[in-house]
Amino acid sequence: MATPAADVSAGAESLLPLVERPARYVDGEWGARHRPEASYRTALLYPDTYELGMANQALAILYDRLNAIDGVAAERVFVPWKDMAAEMRASSTPLFTLESMQPVRDCALVGVTLPYELTYTNVLEALDLAGIPLRSADRAEADPLVVGGGPCAFDPEPMAPFFDAILVGEGEEAVVEIVAAHRAAIEARANREETLRRLAGVPGVYVPSLYAEAPDGGMRPLGGGPAVVEKRVLRDLGAFRPPTCPVVPFMDVVHDRATIEILRGCARGCRFCQAGMVYRPVRERRADDIVRDSLAALACGGYEEVSLTSLSSSDHSLIEDVVRRLSRRLEGTDVTVSLPSLRVDAFGLTLARLLKGKRPGLTLAPEAGTQRLRDVINKNVTGEDLLGAVRAAFEAGWRRVKLYFMIGLPTETDEDVAGIGRLVGEVLAAAREATPADQRGSVRVGVSVSTFVPKAHTPFQWDAQLTLPEVLRRQKILRDAMPRKGVELSWHDASASFLEGALARGDRKVADVIERTWRSGAVFDAWTEEFSLDRWLAAFEEEGVDPVVLAGPRDAKAPLPWSHISSGVSPAFLKLERERAERAVATPDCTFEECTGCGVCPSLGVENAIAGGSRG
Amino acid sequence: MAEGFRLRVRYGKTGRLRHLSHLEVIRACERSVRRAGLPYSVTQGFSPKIKAAFGPALPVGTAGEREYYDVWLTSYVPARTVLERLAGASPAGLAPQAVSYAGGREPSLSAALTVARYRVLVASPATWPEEFGKVLAGVVGSGTLAVEHKGKTKVFDLARSLPEEPRVGSEDGFLVVEITTRIGQEGSLRPEALVHEALSSSPKPGSLIAVTRTDLLVEAGKEWLRPME
Repeated sequence: MATPAADVSAGAESLLPLVERPARYVDGEWGARHRPEASYRTALLYPDTYELGMANQALAILYDRLNAIDGVAAERVFVPWKDMAAEMRASSTPLFTLESMQPVRDCALVGVTLPYELTYTNVLEALDLAGIPLRSADRAEADPLVVGGGPCAFDPEPMAPFFDAILVGEGEEAVVEIVAAHRAAIEARANREETLRRLAGVPGVYVPSLYAEAPDGGMRPLGGGPAVVEKRVLRDLGAFRPPTCPVVPFMDVVHDRATIEILRGCARGCRFCQAGMVYRPVRERRADDIVRDSLAALACGGYEEVSLTSLSSSDHSLIEDVVRRLSRRLEGTDVTVSLPSLRVDAFGLTLARLLKGKRPGLTLAPEAGTQRLRDVINKNVTGEDLLGAVRAAFEAGWRRVKLYFMIGLPTETDEDVAGIGRLVGEVLAAAREATPADQRGSVRVGVSVSTFVPKAHTPFQWDAQLTLPEVLRRQKILRDAMPRKGVELSWHDASASFLEGALARGDRKVADVIERTWRSGAVFDAWTEEFSLDRWLAAFEEEGVDPVVLAGPRDAKAPLPWSHISSGVSPAFLKLERERAERAVATPDCTFEECTGCGVCPSLGVENAIAGGSRG
Repeated sequence: MAEGFRLRVRYGKTGRLRHLSHLEVIRACERSVRRAGLPYSVTQGFSPKIKAAFGPALPVGTAGEREYYDVWLTSYVPARTVLERLAGASPAGLAPQAVSYAGGREPSLSAALTVARYRVLVASPATWPEEFGKVLAGVVGSGTLAVEHKGKTKVFDLARSLPEEPRVGSEDGFLVVEITTRIGQEGSLRPEALVHEALSSSPKPGSLIAVTRTDLLVEAGKEWLRPME
């Protein structure tokens, strides 16, 4: 960059003895890339602490991709915990990247992933610590470009004013193009405005300053950007090798293991699930590639576990083959294979036997307690599927199962809520029956219940979220219906879900609320002990924005604040799916049966890729 | 399978990695062993683990110049080869320095290593090694030191805990305090506790900058030996 970097490393290092868990800030891990010769430096920010951010695969992929470009360095940044932030402010130490321990504000580009809504205040905290103006409109020529991406890019408006550009969709190819466009703009001595116009020309890139709110509730292009920004998608996932030499943390981070993505996208069509809608089509990686990359990642990382990740790993057409081959290669070692996301109807005895080992528990997500409601949400699993999976697992030696449910799904009745308790009772009975009599005392069923949050780009995007008092009433019904012995019941904080709902379908005015809440002290909202709904409600009130309206029902005929962003799934398909939900009619998965007409393949020029030829 | 081959590794915990905890160091070293592709032994049982044993823990923030762990191999690999492979598979701040095979029946590192040497760096507006040495000698002469740790008070018998008189010198404008302590089951006196106590009763201000464990030793009669050469 033009301005010479002030050396902050000595100052930053002197803070380390003063803070908790300094391993968050030390760098020097195996696999960390140091490229002091690079002329174009980027900072990749995960808007939460190190131990959460290091589990993020998107960041690992982009780190790998960017550091492979000649002359480019990508360095990691996480949000310093409160003690470190206080020390940094007290000593005027700006936010620094881990690898070079140099100021983030001296980078050419700051890439920020937006994993979930409750990290929004953390983004502002990081920008402020970095000394970068919070809003795109206030940034000067010397400030870095702040570019967002990740799941929340599909409803970008609440954070739009804080970003110079936001990438919608998959980043493998797009980040390379964004960096190339920026470097060309620097070369051409383009000013900031011109640079942003050039970035808007990269497919999938949304430049918020080129759009304004329209009176009908949608967004109006001001010129320079497309009317609708279509998400980026990789046609051939197999052409991209996932990182096989990732950074290996010292700290005990979340998901501390090698991870290999085995497929992307999910066409099961659960109507509440944003990921299932926005990451289509389904692209399975080849079995040989998965085995090769898993072994390479273990060899390079030295990990004790490799996790085969995706939205629904048991759906991979060759999953049993892959797990069998890997287990054979790892036999007699202390290294294990795990699958993070299993569907109850795809988890059979074969997989249960192959995976037994170190697994402390098995996680399954029936989501709803009655068949009627599971049909409404298109979960397409039956109570018998669930009991079959539980029997298989407990016969194979498991003693714990964790079940995920939601309350507040559209059309839910008190009967559906009580049905969760009944279903859990049946699971307990099935688990005990499949367990030898002398071990039945150790059988445990964990039940985790969250509140449904309607998300953009799903068939339920027009639906209302439950009000807080109603959530509490239904929680009581559920508690009364739940068996006591052998069940460990936990709740997702209802007030945090309420806020998530208001932010998840927010418009551009919500940005003022986010900034005001951060200014009143909010940070780390996803950490239960740090979260304060009152602080948020006060900010909503002062900005004249009603969160209950944001979380409430939407007019299906009017444009939505995210109508200028396209996931490739057509709004007509979402409407049709909403109607089928009302009638409790299931829609099949197009990777098992015929095309459902969601629109992704024709509009984006892509198609499903099934490694084994067919599924099921 | 029998015990296997007991390999002893000497390594450093240096630079910014002195801020790692003992558990973080253990995990990092075990991962280096796996990355190096060494034929390590695993423990018996339902969830096998790498068979390794570490020397006494270093606290977060304390560096180590000569630290040790033992790892068991299922087959013999020449020590030089092991060192090369480990060096190519370890983070720079935890680099291995030497490798040799140890006898299978020798006591564990944690039992054998009972003496530790430390170097404590103190920043002070003036260098006054002789004066500070006298203050330190006064503390040692008082016979005991009460140290509070996690809400509990532990009283150390300094005659037992300090087998040698601390020495004070100066280097680059810092006070350099060299302290030798006994470590083990009965509790290990942290050198910074002694330095803090001396600073609190000294006429001049000073602040502790860095603590480094410079050596770990085995007591053999009157001799102190390194666990490998």
